[in-house]
Amino acid sequence: MNLANLLDNYEEAVAMILFVIGFSNLLLQPNLIKKIIGMNIMDTAVYLFLALKGYIEGHKAPIVVDGVQSVDAYVNPIPSGLVLTGIVVSVSVSALMLSLTIRLYRRYHTLNLDEISTRLKKEDL
Amino acid sequence: MGIWILLPIFLPVIVGILLLLPPGAGESAKKNQDHQSDSSLQEYPPDGGKESLRTRFARLIGTLDESPESLSRLHKLTAAALIVSALVALAAAWSGDRSFTWFELMEGIPVYFQIDDVGRLFVTVISLVWVLVCFYSFVYMGHEGNERRFFGFYLIVYGVLVALSFSGNLVTMYLCYELMTLTSMPMVLHSGSHESIMAALKYLFYSMCGAYLGLFAIFFLYKYCDSITFTAGGTLNLALAEGHTGILLAAIMASLIGFGAKAGMFPLHAWLPTAHPVAPAPASAVLSGIIAKAGVLAIIRVVFYIVGADFIRGTWVQTAWMTLALLTVFMGSMLAFREKVFKKRLAYSTVSQVSYILFGLSTLAPTAMEGALLHVVFHAIIKSVLFLTAGIFIFRGNLSRVDQLEGIGKKMPKTLWCFTFASLALVGIPPMSGFISKWYLAQGALEANIGVFGWVGPAVLLVSALLTAGYLLSVVTNGFFPKKKEAQETDPLDGITEAPAGMLIPLAILAALTVLLGIFPNPLIRFVSKIAAAVL
Amino acid sequence: MEFVQNFPFITIILALFSGPLCSVLKSRAAKRVNTAVICLVLAMSVAVLVFTLRTGEAYIYRMGHFSAPWGNEIRVGVLEAFMAVFFSVIMLLCMLGGRRELTAEVEETKQNLYYVMVGLLLSSLLALIYTNDLFTAYVFVEINTISACGLIMIRQNGRSIEAATRYMIMSLLGSGLFLMGICYLYDLTGHLLMSNIKEQVALLAASGEYHIPLLISITLMSVGLAIKSALFPFHAWVPDAYGYSTLSSAAILSSLVSKGYIFLVVKIFYRVIGFDVIRESKVINVLFVFGVLGMIFGSVNAIRENNIRRMIAWSSVAQIGYIYMGFGLGTTAGITASLFHILSHAATKSMLFVSASGLTDVSHGETDFFGLTGSGYRNRIAGVAFTAGSLSMVGIPLFSGFISKVLFASAAYDTSGKLIPAMIALAVSTLLNAIYFMKTVIRIYTPSHRAGIKTDTRVIAMREQPQKAVVLMLFIALNLILGLGSQPIVNMLTQGLEMFG
Repeated sequence: MNLANLLDNYEEAVAMILFVIGFSNLLLQPNLIKKIIGMNIMDTAVYLFLALKGYIEGHKAPIVVDGVQSVDAYVNPIPSGLVLTGIVVSVSVSALMLSLTIRLYRRYHTLNLDEISTRLKKEDL
Repeated sequence: MGIWILLPIFLPVIVGILLLLPPGAGESAKKNQDHQSDSSLQEYPPDGGKESLRTRFARLIGTLDESPESLSRLHKLTAAALIVSALVALAAAWSGDRSFTWFELMEGIPVYFQIDDVGRLFVTVISLVWVLVCFYSFVYMGHEGNERRFFGFYLIVYGVLVALSFSGNLVTMYLCYELMTLTSMPMVLHSGSHESIMAALKYLFYSMCGAYLGLFAIFFLYKYCDSITFTAGGTLNLALAEGHTGILLAAIMASLIGFGAKAGMFPLHAWLPTAHPVAPAPASAVLSGIIAKAGVLAIIRVVFYIVGADFIRGTWVQTAWMTLALLTVFMGSMLAFREKVFKKRLAYSTVSQVSYILFGLSTLAPTAMEGALLHVVFHAIIKSVLFLTAGIFIFRGNLSRVDQLEGIGKKMPKTLWCFTFASLALVGIPPMSGFISKWYLAQGALEANIGVFGWVGPAVLLVSALLTAGYLLSVVTNGFFPKKKEAQETDPLDGITEAPAGMLIPLAILAALTVLLGIFPNPLIRFVSKIAAAVL
Repeated sequence: MEFVQNFPFITIILALFSGPLCSVLKSRAAKRVNTAVICLVLAMSVAVLVFTLRTGEAYIYRMGHFSAPWGNEIRVGVLEAFMAVFFSVIMLLCMLGGRRELTAEVEETKQNLYYVMVGLLLSSLLALIYTNDLFTAYVFVEINTISACGLIMIRQNGRSIEAATRYMIMSLLGSGLFLMGICYLYDLTGHLLMSNIKEQVALLAASGEYHIPLLISITLMSVGLAIKSALFPFHAWVPDAYGYSTLSSAAILSSLVSKGYIFLVVKIFYRVIGFDVIRESKVINVLFVFGVLGMIFGSVNAIRENNIRRMIAWSSVAQIGYIYMGFGLGTTAGITASLFHILSHAATKSMLFVSASGLTDVSHGETDFFGLTGSGYRNRIAGVAFTAGSLSMVGIPLFSGFISKVLFASAAYDTSGKLIPAMIALAVSTLLNAIYFMKTVIRIYTPSHRAGIKTDTRVIAMREQPQKAVVLMLFIALNLILGLGSQPIVNMLTQGLEMFG
């Protein structure tokens, strides 16, 4: 029964698995680039989840071509709007993270955050 | 009406703060800054007026530096402020019942002052000792230095103590109690040495621990009492407390232990023997004589004015309290007996003697309570004498250990005589004052219906009195009649002379009081029996 | 509709656009613009507060006149308006107090960028306070994070960049969880506006359907925001970020940024989920446990710390623990206590940071504990302010910290089973606070020649740093106001919380 549920909602399950993968990468990877990739996977998982929630089987995207049809014709547009907003946010955050990474790399010539930390403690500033 | 209560609180506090504001004498950079602030005063407009105010004040009283003239001005100012506030405090205390709500700290929790008999008793003792010790310290502090800071805090603590005696509800009392801890701490760490800082931290830590336990109890009492205003006989709402007796008793016990920290009751007594030896002698005198009593006052307030004696009579709390008090009495005397550092010995003696008071209170019997209140007065005076004497020995010859004091009676007979009177009083030899309080304590314990403690208590008190005789009178006998072999070596007491008059006179007045109060105790006894009758 | 009702929206937009404006200005002009904007926001928020107090009820401001459930809304009640006033006051004081450090530590060409960040931060804080839309809240959470990151890294040394990176990573984890929680909730209820979600959640809770997804959503949102506000054990970035960034940043981060998230948590509890549902879920117990652990752990680390800035930062970890412990009590009184502690901590912590820098100034820039010996004599107003802040943190009556502790304790009293742990935690952390703060106070008032330290350090009179002195005096006054006149403020908080419900 539960397994069947899981299979029915396999898209959501995939989104969740992706989210966890991204989350643990962001949390656990010492390499900064991999962290950023993890973050992007995590965000993408959320967008996948949102898009799935807005999708209604057999309906079209709410782009009005030949007059407004009944509501039943379209999928829910709000999640798409949210995904767009979310993408904007995640792009800017990725850009910021990458710029930080470049800064750190120029200074310490490594992408390993733990190594940077130990080195910082040693030089004590 | 509020002015009569607030004035003796704020006058010393304000003068004290003003004394602290000018550049501290401890910094070597002080001089430069004075010059700077004087010369640059014209160049820059004073911001907020504060800088100029404080420089102006310092110039006004002429205490910018440590020259003898400015020190004498400092002394005059301190004495004037203290005496005026003491007089106002006494006038306010003895001219009828007053009460005054200052402002609401939180809803239903006003900062409220009221004057009742207990407050009167305490404020009188505090003012008496504080003024006399102040005169003593004018001479003594010359050798410790940094007088401005000392007297600043000395005045502030006086104001806080008056507020504590006048405080009319639990929260006001707690507020003053915490302020007292904080403002008296700088007197402990006066010398600024490592040991004194550690001792001050220890003092702070114990007091905070204790105060927090007290606060914990205050929360519970606030819920279960009709009001947190002190009322003779207690305000505990028995109907509300029904079914919560266990936790209430635990909270009361917590407050006993917590406020007992200040009074040096076991298990939170250890700060006394650490803090006293490093503090200047006048500070030790008031710490022992007065501030330890603040813990007693807090306990009296909680037990007799909020909870009510009936609630804890016969419960495990009473038993535990009596046990702790007696344990402390005995332990303090034993430790004092074995201690060789003079001021530490006196500190342990305080631990023991204040617990006499606590034992008297814990019996919840009127006679014993009278004894306890009498002992509050007597011990405050006696212990001040003892510590002031110790201070004189340090002042004159840096004699801090008991064995250095052999033959001191030849050099400083008057000082040692004062010490002798006070010792006899503390031991409880009639007709000295200590006898009366101890008599009442023992008799009260015998009368009270407290089972086995009825005879264990007096027995412990007696043993402790013998130990007291042992550790105090040995100093006297050795001082007057040194052993022969000491005389052959080079005399360590060479060049030591009698204490200066400025120290001797306050000492003599206090010592005379220990005797006089023993001979004419009746007004005092009538007064304390009125207090005891009201609450029991 | 009265004109004053537009003010919340105007303040947000004003702060938001002051950012881009500052980016094209010279740093001096940017400084002026920034100060003016903060003052303007403050004045407008006061007007809004007066308005809401007068009407006595909250109002909804529809963006673009679309009604619920389609439009985006701003909702203004007493609590929101009060928080806006308070946050802008603290922001103003922090900026003024850290001005000198800012000019000294940040490159001249980059200073206007700092004001960009401050403008964005203020705007996002206001939006977090006012918004009635969960997704808008998410967007402004991210703006808040990015601008806070900018505040940390503006001082370009290795430590602060590393701290900024760590801060970003933790924040991103938090926002990921928070976003996921919002999506779940949207999926369950079909709404993004807080009031509508609440109606649906109430129906769901009553019917008992979707119990587990609801729980997951609550957990994700609260844990996400807890991570972002540096609740133990997600605090690893705090000491570095507060310890090595420029003064204003440290003060703003500790007293405002984390508080913005915490305020959002309160909103979610009351406005989105409904407090009854929250109470039934066991999430608050988790928050309680971590709050208590944070109180102890933060203080223990503060004791072991020798750098004064980092010590204050560790103390922040402990104070955040207090706030979450208050949430964890699960009563309105607990939330009120936490809200009061937000105020008290914001007022005190920023004062501690500013005064600590004042002490450092007169000790050859030493931030080390021993280097500060006697600095209280050399910079008097900073010494006094640090002492006042310490006393407040320890919880001495007269200062704000005492009131919040009393509120916590009396709130704990009404809970079943959490009384004893809360009391013990309060007691232990109070004592630990006393140890490290009093140790420091005694240290700064130990005459340095006695400790064998060179005394060629400069004495700073108040007029040399008038701005900082005035700021510190204002901070002390703020603390005393919170400590002595707490009742009107607590009343306001309670009233505001009632309007929330």
